[in-house]
Amino acid sequence: MASKLLASTLRQTLTKATRASSLRSLSTAAAAVSPSAYEPYEELDGITMKGVKIAGRPLYLDMQATTPVDPRVLDAMLPFYLSRYGNPHSRTHLFGWESDHAVETARSHIADLIGASPKEIIFTSGATESNNISVKGVMHFYKDKKRHVITTQTEHKCVLDSCRHLQQEGFEITYLPVGPDGIINLDELRAAIRPDTGLISVMAVNNEIGVIQPMEEIGKICKEFNIPFHTDAAQALGKIPVDVEKWNASLMSLSGHKIYGPKGIGALYLRRRPRIRVEPLINGGGQERGIRSGTLPAPLIVGFGAACEVAKKEMAYDHKRITALQDRLLNGIKKKIDGVVINGSVERRYAGNLNLSFAYVEGESLLMGLKEVAVSSGSACTSASLEPSYVLRALGVDEDMAHTSIRFGIGRFTTEAEVDRAIELTVKQVEKLREMSPLYEMVKEGIDIKQIQWAQH
Amino acid sequence: MAPTRAEIMGLYRSLIRAAREFCDYNIREYTMRRTVDGFRKNQKLTDSNSISSAYLEGKNQLAVAKRQAVVYSLYAPKVKSVIELEKLIIH
Repeated sequence: MASKLLASTLRQTLTKATRASSLRSLSTAAAAVSPSAYEPYEELDGITMKGVKIAGRPLYLDMQATTPVDPRVLDAMLPFYLSRYGNPHSRTHLFGWESDHAVETARSHIADLIGASPKEIIFTSGATESNNISVKGVMHFYKDKKRHVITTQTEHKCVLDSCRHLQQEGFEITYLPVGPDGIINLDELRAAIRPDTGLISVMAVNNEIGVIQPMEEIGKICKEFNIPFHTDAAQALGKIPVDVEKWNASLMSLSGHKIYGPKGIGALYLRRRPRIRVEPLINGGGQERGIRSGTLPAPLIVGFGAACEVAKKEMAYDHKRITALQDRLLNGIKKKIDGVVINGSVERRYAGNLNLSFAYVEGESLLMGLKEVAVSSGSACTSASLEPSYVLRALGVDEDMAHTSIRFGIGRFTTEAEVDRAIELTVKQVEKLREMSPLYEMVKEGIDIKQIQWAQH
Repeated sequence: MAPTRAEIMGLYRSLIRAAREFCDYNIREYTMRRTVDGFRKNQKLTDSNSISSAYLEGKNQLAVAKRQAVVYSLYAPKVKSVIELEKLIIH
């Protein structure tokens, strides 16, 4: 009797379930044929979004936030979204073998670009995860003897936040200051080293101001004191020559979507000789030698590998072109308006990142007026806040100048026409805002604004 | 065997034609520019082996460009880049 009752309830729930699932499948089918997600705001005569109407798609000058996917990269990826969908860890059939082969080829392309061995590359979800594994993983592994980390004030948020997390666990962190040019002082680094220093983490190319830290010199100091050296090279990979041997890096964070590859994939370089060990953040099936469990996203990895392959081939060509475009942009703006300041070192910087401050202009108004140019005031992570960037504050940039910074990111696909248009629009907007500004009027009359005693309200 | 001059010029023309098919402004401009610059740089090649490998490379790039121009056209945004709109008004 009981079994009969069970069977009937089971049948009931089963029919209910199938009815529900058939309904659901119908609704997803309906969603698939309905207009896609971007149609509501895209009209034939322009785009309306967030209350802003633009005639055409803005020109993209925010290459530090992310880069467009190179068609050569997409071409390599697509087969792995279609027929070649195997799990690279499947050892029993062709699907797995071909995915595994593609993943290993990609791994060797990535290793090749940074002068490493493919065995030293661990795939992660991106540079943020790689930075987390590096900072927390190393310190957790060596926590009995090493209690101190050295990093800089201008690191990416994910390194700073990982350090803050370690601080809460009782580790000590030294945040090295940087000079007005954004470069750390090597003597200060040397002085900050303690016997229990377990990690030195310095990013290669800064994401906001584009300055290049003296990697080889830092690497030498790390070697001298036998301290693991981690560097966040997400903004450096494929743009400046990166060599783990020359830099003496023990760990290096890499990202796919900064080098015209797909988003959601990155890598961690982990030195084998001398071996550096980390405690994994994600535990599971033991993929990537147990350091990063989880099925490898074969299409993304193939894309990342292809992006590295293209980057290696195109680095000299891209660099020459991007440098010329940067000069064009900088000279074009400086010729037409005064009070333009480059944030960070002029000599030691990656050409594709031009961070400028415009005096006597309010930054948000400037960005709002530049709706046809996709630029940012700093990093994309903090672009929602009105606070001036902590990187610029670390440089000692005045509050008013830090508020008016704009980061122009030039990349592989940027054209001369886009740069000229950006100059024209920026100049027009800055002039318009200055015309309205009483401050600028006072400066033109020869009043030194810094001497003014503003009345307190 | 090294390709003939006519074959090389044919490849050049095909690449430019394939580049024009890209609906995306930046990709189209890049593909044209990269083709012109690549051929200009390889003009100086004299060794038949390097000419052959450059030709083969170009052939592969042509295949990629042809495929990707189709993919881009399938998902082209309705609205063009502001740079292209500017051009349309002038002409």
